[in-house]
Amino acid sequence: MISAAQDTGVYVYGVLAPDAPSPPGVETVEHDGLVALVREVPLAEFGEEALPAHLNDREWLEVHVRAHEDVLASAAEASTVVPFRFGVICHDRSDVARLLDEHAELLRRDLLRVRGCEELGVKVWYDAPEATATDEAPAGGRAYLERRRDDRRRALELAASREALVADVHERLARCSVASVVNRPQPKELSGRDEQMLLNAAYLVRRGDEAIAREVASLHAEHAANGYAFELTGPWPPYNFVGEGA
Amino acid sequence: MSARDLARNGNGGGPAQLADVLERVLDKGIVIAGDIQINLLDIELLTVRLRLLIASADKAREMGIDWWEGDPFLSRRAGNDALEDRLKRLEAAAGLEAGEGKDES
Repeated sequence: MISAAQDTGVYVYGVLAPDAPSPPGVETVEHDGLVALVREVPLAEFGEEALPAHLNDREWLEVHVRAHEDVLASAAEASTVVPFRFGVICHDRSDVARLLDEHAELLRRDLLRVRGCEELGVKVWYDAPEATATDEAPAGGRAYLERRRDDRRRALELAASREALVADVHERLARCSVASVVNRPQPKELSGRDEQMLLNAAYLVRRGDEAIAREVASLHAEHAANGYAFELTGPWPPYNFVGEGA
Repeated sequence: MSARDLARNGNGGGPAQLADVLERVLDKGIVIAGDIQINLLDIELLTVRLRLLIASADKAREMGIDWWEGDPFLSRRAGNDALEDRLKRLEAAAGLEAGEGKDES
């Protein structure tokens, strides 16, 4: 494209199978049976120099990250979509076609892998009960040390039982899924909750399959009294099940 | 109401938690490498993290994007979870040296 002063780029959200309907208001670039969902974006906002600064702008980031998710979620509702990570921006539509051409093998593999599937997120939270401190002062140095050692042993036992429970939960949920990914638990600063996140996992399931939801509900019933909470999110486009590493 | 609705806690039906969206949209999904893209380097999450860390750590922390602090590649603080901290405090308070307890494996 001959453009002396190019001021727009083409943002790519993801790729659809050729027969899939594209969400309203989103443009497409089709090449050899692959359909990219795209939008023209101003380089003043999305260009090499502007984007890094915008990524530090909370409001800008939230608006655009949610917009990215909204486009992909509405595409995924109707059909199979391979989601791209935020910020894939080409110079023009012919570069989008080149992108589809160069990565056709991976894109077709992923379209096949996630066809008819959706991603569900499951998080396990633990609200640690306050340590039950004994009020009476220890009788002496020896008793003090013993108590500390008991506390320590109890803490280790609790940690081991939490680990075992999380492993069991994941195994039960994975059995209900086509594929699963365990991600690093979000820190409290990111989750915004006081409880500790013990499990942060994603499960690929057949669209509309409710087995995971039922399992989460029964896990909740089994363990809520002991300070565990289970959270189901989604359905999401299959972010966790595409790409080189998937 | 479906089992899925019943199982969903908190903001059922509402917009997804920002943390969940950020985690997926910035850290997952296909990354395209090559000269087709305008700004590949800037969209790598690692770069985003580092950028946030270096350029605007306070702002990032304000909005909660500081998960690099738990990232073994980016932080020496990785792995220090609350339990370990607590154990260390208990050990220090008790004057126990690490490895003294027989219950330790």
